Amino acid sequence: MSSSSSSSSPSCPKKMITLKSSDGETFEIEEIAALQSKTLESMIDENCASTPVPLPNITGKILAKVVEYCTKHAEVGADAESLRAWDAEFVSVDHPTLFDYILAANFLEIPTLLNLACQSVADMVKGKTPDEIHKIFNIKSTFTPEEEEELRRENQWAFD
Amino acid sequence: MSRRLRRRVSKKGKEKVVAHSYTEFEEEVSTSEQNGDVNWTCLPDDTVIQLFSCLNYRDRASLASTCKTWRCLSASPCLWNSLDLRAHKCDSAMASSLASRCRNLQKLRFRGAESADAIIFLQARNLRELSGDYCRKITDATLSVIAARHELLECLQLGPDFCERITSDAVKQIAFCCPNLTKLRLSGIRDVQGDAISALGKHCPHLTDVGFLDCLKVDELALGNVASLRFLSVAGTSNVKWGVVSHVWHKLPNLVGLDVSRTDVGPAAVSRLLISSQSLKVLCALNCPVLEGDANFTVPKIKGKSLLAHFTDIFEGIASLFADITSKGKTVFLDWRNSKKTHKSMDEMMSWFEWILSHSLLRSAENNPQGLDDFWLKQGAPLLLILMQSSQEDVQERAATGLATFVVIDDEHASIDRGRAEAVMRDGGIRLLLDLAKSWREGLQSEAAKAIANLSVNVNVAKAVAEEGGIDILASLARSMNRLVAEEAAGGLWNLSVGEEHKGAIAEAGGVKALVDLIFKWSSGGDGVLERAAGALANLAADDKCSMAVALAGGVHALVMLARNCKFEGVQEQAARALANLAAHGDSNGNNAAVGQEVGALEALVQLTRSPHEGVRQEAAGALWNLSFDDRNREAIASAGGVEALVALAQTCSNASPGLQERAAGALWGLSVSEANSVAIGREGGVAPLIALARSDAEDVHETAAGALWNLAFNPGNALRIVEEGGVPALVHLCSSSVSKMARFMAALALAYMFDGRMDEYALVGTSSESTSKIVSLDGSRRMALKHIEAFILMFSDRQAFTTAAASSAPAALAEVTEGARIQEAGHLRCSGAEIGRFISMLKNPSVLKACAAFALLQFTIPGGRHALHHAKLMQNAGAARVLRATAAAATAPLEAKIFARIVLRNLEHHQAESSKGI
Repeated sequence: MSSSSSSSSPSCPKKMITLKSSDGETFEIEEIAALQSKTLESMIDENCASTPVPLPNITGKILAKVVEYCTKHAEVGADAESLRAWDAEFVSVDHPTLFDYILAANFLEIPTLLNLACQSVADMVKGKTPDEIHKIFNIKSTFTPEEEEELRRENQWAFD
Repeated sequence: MSRRLRRRVSKKGKEKVVAHSYTEFEEEVSTSEQNGDVNWTCLPDDTVIQLFSCLNYRDRASLASTCKTWRCLSASPCLWNSLDLRAHKCDSAMASSLASRCRNLQKLRFRGAESADAIIFLQARNLRELSGDYCRKITDATLSVIAARHELLECLQLGPDFCERITSDAVKQIAFCCPNLTKLRLSGIRDVQGDAISALGKHCPHLTDVGFLDCLKVDELALGNVASLRFLSVAGTSNVKWGVVSHVWHKLPNLVGLDVSRTDVGPAAVSRLLISSQSLKVLCALNCPVLEGDANFTVPKIKGKSLLAHFTDIFEGIASLFADITSKGKTVFLDWRNSKKTHKSMDEMMSWFEWILSHSLLRSAENNPQGLDDFWLKQGAPLLLILMQSSQEDVQERAATGLATFVVIDDEHASIDRGRAEAVMRDGGIRLLLDLAKSWREGLQSEAAKAIANLSVNVNVAKAVAEEGGIDILASLARSMNRLVAEEAAGGLWNLSVGEEHKGAIAEAGGVKALVDLIFKWSSGGDGVLERAAGALANLAADDKCSMAVALAGGVHALVMLARNCKFEGVQEQAARALANLAAHGDSNGNNAAVGQEVGALEALVQLTRSPHEGVRQEAAGALWNLSFDDRNREAIASAGGVEALVALAQTCSNASPGLQERAAGALWGLSVSEANSVAIGREGGVAPLIALARSDAEDVHETAAGALWNLAFNPGNALRIVEEGGVPALVHLCSSSVSKMARFMAALALAYMFDGRMDEYALVGTSSESTSKIVSLDGSRRMALKHIEAFILMFSDRQAFTTAAASSAPAALAEVTEGARIQEAGHLRCSGAEIGRFISMLKNPSVLKACAAFALLQFTIPGGRHALHHAKLMQNAGAARVLRATAAAATAPLEAKIFARIVLRNLEHHQAESSKGI
């Protein structure tokens, strides 16, 4: 809820900054929420955020979600348990979206979001064989038989 | 099953969607669509490295094996900063294969002497920190070579197991080779001599943190000369000359923290050190009996100095050291961790606290000394929870192990202290443990799972674990490739599956499959994990639905394999119990038959009844009892030698637990359902031990024995044996005074079989010279038996109801008699045609047996009884109605027999009407 004003006094209106997605959508975000992004933080520090900040590699669809994430995590007094549930719901998305979350979190340098998204991918990998991982990520093995043998030697220790 | 996703549709090019107001709809997305056309391999390198860092080594290896880019990134130096080899087999070949990746390795953890020997092959010349456990067999030679090859070493820790073979020579070598050493903590060295300590002081100018824990002797004087020391622990070290210490160590110019926990330090030394050292800030003396035993000791109050002991407020003591932190008490650790300001000396001190406290608390938890209840509730439990949030992994592990340990107050009976368990829960411990269990670090996973397992013995904790999602976490840990992790997780599922509440959730989380897979995975060489998995499956199999899941997952085969092959008694016991529970669902599922059909199952169980371990014998007998409900299993058990084995068991269980006695009698009861087995049991000498069990005061035991004797008595030869072995007084006693109606009922029926005339014919046929005396003594027994059968019938006959029923033929009157006579559990008894036929003939008996037979048939045909319809059909086939009508109408018959016969007739009519309706 961005309309809540319990955390700041009425005499001091919330500072907002504007973000612009690759497809031209604009989004407003509270400065306090934006500070979770190290990229935005340094722009704010250098006074580069008074005009809409262009984010040429994040689509409106993803940026909307990122703004939602930052706003949620800037809320005062959210209890850890419900935030955890919220996060879990947030990353219950299809692969393309998850992939875009990682790119956006990486570009904007939002460590908690990057961690959340990577953990979600890690959970898909856990306990899987290389073949199963190939299927999950839709990738093909390009190793030669010699390389396969090398790989086996290289990784044997982890399986013993 | 695919997940339900919320997916927003947006078409490229024509979007003008305002944030937060786009349309959403729910859509089922299949996995292949989910994969979309994302090219995961083009993720930025940093993020791939982060992904790797969320995984354990096994998963990292799998991910690295998928494509060239990721293989290359998997070797990134930042993923090889630290390495924990404890769970892995580490030999020189393996270590060599890692060498190229260990060039910049900073931190290494290892386990055991063999791994220690292999360390040099990693060629990790830049290693800064080395820490090893299970080091009992590490030699001076190994340690010296390690020191020589890792000159940059700053931190070396070996323990908490005692390094029994390490001497001062190796310590000297370390001093010579590693000039950058700042931290040295060694456990269990016999004698740390002065020259070794002096060498450290001379060659390691940065040495600030020394721990000689649980050593037999250290040279106090020499330690007093290591001027660089800031932190010193001699926790658990014996033979310390405190007189020397208190006159020397206070001169150490930089000493800030001193740990003398678990020693015989006394008040004088403590006071003197606190008062006279200029630099000392904290003296930690947890679990020091001499100090705690001195009622007159008062803690010297000196500003800026704290004594941490069981009788002081540890949190306050630590908080008082912070000049700039306003927090008081329990929040001090959290405030310190969250504090943005870095203060190097304070950080060092707090890290040191965490380390020594985790050590001392774990030791206290292991030894569980008396009188610490209050300490654990007020300080120990909160401290362990705080320590679990440390940034030091080994501290986290020890704290979790400490939690797992301190709640257990009786290892033998796995009972835990409720107050302590609930204190952990109250302070948010369950969440913390579950978070640790989700970590990729297997050392943390196993310790956290162990703590969750132990705590879950408490039902309230178990509930909290389930509510916080713990069952899913444990089920997934049970699939771990790491045996220790899987073992603790299986233990958790075992404890959680004790009550009825969580069985369904465990099955839903895939726990059943995971547990069965565990058995196959560790079928050789994993006794601990096998026992826990079988124990959990045994609990789960007690539930009808879960037992189906167990069978479906291949559990029958797995458990039979354990019963056949495993030599470990704990595993045998749980496997037998699991098979017993699988077979306990009667006709409601096919598991009973399925167990019997598994090759070697019955033979194995018969064999286990001969185990030297009482628990194994008990569960095996229980399994055979349950399995004998199936006709084919019953005969197969007999041909597998079950009769001989179970008779032998019954003969030797006179001093055993009631549980074993009940199951031994029960299994014989089950087998004796067929007359051939009955004869065999009698021949093998089963009658005498069953009579002995029938004399037991334990209700379950004598009830079961009565059942077995009833079946046996059907055969006249056995009946005679029962008389000869003194069974009549025993049965008469049961029939008149057991608290169990069932026991009384079955004892009465046994006596009825014995004295309905067939035994007499048999006794006459087997004429011998003693036959006359036999018949004479039989007469006495018969009179006694009949008298008590009559008394038994009268107990279930309400005079008033009978008079009313005799006067009117109204159904209500008969119903009232039925109600008074009904024995609820008798509805579970199933009789054969021969038995029913025998009761029908008994209706013609002039004695009280007429009423007894009518009473029995009434019990067997009461509508709603499990086998009532079956019995009604048998009676129809035998033409019972005519005999019953005759009984009901006979002028001379006793009133009970007449009324009971009328009720049986009504029951038969009822069943006939029901079954014709069914057609």
